[in-house]
Amino acid sequence: MPYITKLEKAGIPTVIVDLEDQHEMVKQVALQYGVPKLRYLPASRMLHGEKDVENFIEPMLELLTRPLTDEEKESGMYMPPSQRILFEGTLEEAEIFYQQTRHVPKPLDAPIAVYTDGLPVVIPTEERVEKMLEGTSHKPDELITYQRDGIGKKGDVVRFLPMERTATVERVAVNAVTAGCKPEHLPAVLAIAESGCGTGTTTFWGQWCCISGPYAKEIGMNSGVGMLDPGSPANMPVGRAYQLMAINLGGAVPGVNRMNSIGSPFNSGGTCFAENAAGLPSGWKGLNEEYGFKKDESIVLVINSGGYIVGNQFSPGGYRAFQKSGHGGMARRMDVKGIPGPHNWLEYLVPQLWAGREGGYTFIMVPEMAQHLYEIGFKSKDEVYQWLWEKSKEPLKQYRLRSWPDEGTNGWLGIERTSGKHWKELPDDYMVPVVDEPTDNCIIIGGGDEEICQQLTGRRGMLGTAPVFSIDAWR
Amino acid sequence: MAEKIYKCLDPTGTQLPVKTYPLAPRLDTLDGKTIHISITGEPDITLPLEKKLRSDYPNVNWTQKKSYTPTPVYLTEEEMKTTDAVILAVTW
Repeated sequence: MPYITKLEKAGIPTVIVDLEDQHEMVKQVALQYGVPKLRYLPASRMLHGEKDVENFIEPMLELLTRPLTDEEKESGMYMPPSQRILFEGTLEEAEIFYQQTRHVPKPLDAPIAVYTDGLPVVIPTEERVEKMLEGTSHKPDELITYQRDGIGKKGDVVRFLPMERTATVERVAVNAVTAGCKPEHLPAVLAIAESGCGTGTTTFWGQWCCISGPYAKEIGMNSGVGMLDPGSPANMPVGRAYQLMAINLGGAVPGVNRMNSIGSPFNSGGTCFAENAAGLPSGWKGLNEEYGFKKDESIVLVINSGGYIVGNQFSPGGYRAFQKSGHGGMARRMDVKGIPGPHNWLEYLVPQLWAGREGGYTFIMVPEMAQHLYEIGFKSKDEVYQWLWEKSKEPLKQYRLRSWPDEGTNGWLGIERTSGKHWKELPDDYMVPVVDEPTDNCIIIGGGDEEICQQLTGRRGMLGTAPVFSIDAWR
Repeated sequence: MAEKIYKCLDPTGTQLPVKTYPLAPRLDTLDGKTIHISITGEPDITLPLEKKLRSDYPNVNWTQKKSYTPTPVYLTEEEMKTTDAVILAVTW
């Protein structure tokens, strides 16, 4: 879209063919990039292409020749008002005010909360926000900027997605109050804010955060049994703060600019959990160390990716039988019947991991299962990542039968990364990794004692950037 | 006793001012013009579109750049100088 607005500004008339349900998004992005009256018309999601083109070709060309209206000739400045005090009244009146909704037309056609995630919020009175700000040494009027080079350059102002707005420390604190956070949670919320709180496109729909380092214990986060479940007064509000910041600071509205066709339970109420650093096998790095921080430094990993959970592929009792004495279905499949473990239980998962999708996973595993991997020879997470990457390889003939690579390879016109050759030059039996890089996979230790591994879909970084933010920088 | 009145703060982000521009003047005719088709995926639509444009509008000098991703292949600054209009299909 910035490209089209650049062309219009350069005096080149344009027309966009979009899909009808995405008109609101086109309008909003056109305004963001300074040409609010861009001309567009929809193609059909269902008609056969030839019939569709017959229907829209003449109206499309007419948009290139029809003289401009007075409105389309206008220039000016888009500058929506911004105020510090949004509402004055009793707490009861404020509760009604902050719960206000607006009707979002199709493809949603339902009321959507304007300032909240749909649930009641803690009203951000001046006094509560002031108290919240005691959780950081940063000044209330300080703009949120990148604290280190990463997805942005250190010192640059963070633009909150999708509207690319900016925010001060105080505005983040307002959202932390509404989410139900305590002042000691604010450094984590500010670190999460540094991510820009994206909500993705039509397909990258799940957002979750994982905190690594001593801060997790300090604020009482749950990294044990049920760490993804409700109940923690630290995990829950910090996770919720992400979503409220996406809604309020970023301006994300379903059906307008948050086009997740179905969405993800990760985003309902928000998702934040902590790594159990004490459960790491000897020599395995925590997330903080994986990203170059020290063990005593605290960070938050912020993921925005295709979000669902796979797991429960084996029974915990079956797992124990497999490891203790080589009995049960897992042992039969792995051909270690009667042979005591430890065995590589990841082998059991591999056949289904990439059967239906490509890309990395985040493996959340309980400490015991990580220890088994260590005992069979994986002395670091990197060794596991490398092993998984090798296991993801499949013949090109098979890889061609997948959907996303049509786009990822630019219609098979690009270069295959491991060979450096054009896709069309490679033989059918060339082994293609279904995961781009070994470290697209991620291991997090957490959960209770029951032998469970859950796999969260989606690699950890987008476009080679590390979505990791220092919490200590925001204390 | 009257209930306490609270000042409640705005949770929304700040939209930086955006200078807005008019649309570029439209073409008086298609004939003789160089019109660029910027293709971004959806070959089911864009292949018949390009084919029909070229067959039904032979007096237009059609140019084309193709991507299978949502990001178009940009015209160079030089190409922009000789391009009279652009069709972008399909934005998704």
